[in-house]
Amino acid sequence: MVKLQIIERMSHKPEEYMLITEDVHRIVEASGIEDGLAVVVTAHTTTGIIVNEALPCVESDISDMLERMAPLDADYAHAHFLPSYGATGNNSQGHLKSLVCGNSCMFPVIGGKIVCGGAQDIYLVDFDGPQKRKIYVEVMGEPKESNHKRKGEEK
Amino acid sequence: MVIDMHVHPVFYKDICDDEEELIFRENTFGVWKQGPMSFEEAFAEMDYGKIDKEAVLPLDVSTTAGGCVVTNEQIAKLVALRPDRLIGFASVDPHRKDALETLERAFTQLGLKGLKLNPSKQKFYPMDKELEPIYELCEKQNKPVIFHAGTSWEPDTPAKYSHPLAFEEIFIKYPNLRCCLAHFAWPWVREMCMLMLKYPNVYTDTSVLYLDSPEESILRLFTEDMGKRWAERAFANQILFASNTPRFRAFKIRRAIEKLPVNEETKAAILGGNAVRFLGME
Repeated sequence: MVKLQIIERMSHKPEEYMLITEDVHRIVEASGIEDGLAVVVTAHTTTGIIVNEALPCVESDISDMLERMAPLDADYAHAHFLPSYGATGNNSQGHLKSLVCGNSCMFPVIGGKIVCGGAQDIYLVDFDGPQKRKIYVEVMGEPKESNHKRKGEEK
Repeated sequence: MVIDMHVHPVFYKDICDDEEELIFRENTFGVWKQGPMSFEEAFAEMDYGKIDKEAVLPLDVSTTAGGCVVTNEQIAKLVALRPDRLIGFASVDPHRKDALETLERAFTQLGLKGLKLNPSKQKFYPMDKELEPIYELCEKQNKPVIFHAGTSWEPDTPAKYSHPLAFEEIFIKYPNLRCCLAHFAWPWVREMCMLMLKYPNVYTDTSVLYLDSPEESILRLFTEDMGKRWAERAFANQILFASNTPRFRAFKIRRAIEKLPVNEETKAAILGGNAVRFLGME
């Protein structure tokens, strides 16, 4: 059994850390899946999905590290006219930070709930905001017993 | 007040109901891979960039491309929805037989605040005879004109129609008409400067991100393409802040302007004061 849900979030600044932990937990619990996997995937190339502790100081350290790795004023190649867009590309910083963070995360689902440590929060991070962003949450696995029974009864 | 004087609202959701029209817009205007965006999304960017208002520009290419990229009525609709954020301009294809009536209606009935023309896309020379009644109407009604000038990314846009020198006689014949040659008439920046020196009612704008990062592009414009003190000494009252959204992002252009080695008075004038005068809002 596979269940797919979409989360949409709007960022309001160029780099924004948006917690989606509760949304993901809720989607897993409503999925009807007892045991399996939950996958969170961003639909974009200038966002990241990260799992970390939701403390302002940790966010700040992550942000500072990424800024050191991909500073705003670096000499990027991706700063020229893009004919396929009809626009000048100038968001390499977002692409590189996205690359470092990755585009997804995955958690086990056991007993109908996501298996997530107490300090494990899930973030959608926008590195090219402000923009509206889309994330896919896919839950895959064995359906709950009640679903099995219902299916059996139907047969 | 900070005003972005050059925005093409081709993807504003409230005028994106028709899929076929949207495809026409993309292909005629030459911008792709961007979807319809709500006011919430558009204004989030303005809010972050501390941009109070933006001038939204239509494009009538009835005789050269068979339609409008955005119509005057669609501009009026957007402005009616958000008059606090949007300043509506009109467009008219000067080759239309009813060009003057169309423009008069845009000003008097739709309440649009100025005219946008693109000589390269609409295929006319700025001093063609058929333009004269249009300029006379704008002068009479105290409506400013924004011309596309210099190179254009729109398909089928020969630059010969938009060379800055092709505009000069307008400024001689209509000295009270406020005109903006957009994009610093890039790459003819020196010619643009010559026109601003000679004609105080001639303006230009900062939507020049044709190459490089916003910071590199704007810095080069203000310190290499122009002399380092020219903006302060000679053109402080004639340069308008503009982004050319959706080709460039407005807050990044503003960020680059804020970093320029020019005084704060000049920056304030560029970011909004000059637009207020250009629009006749003083």
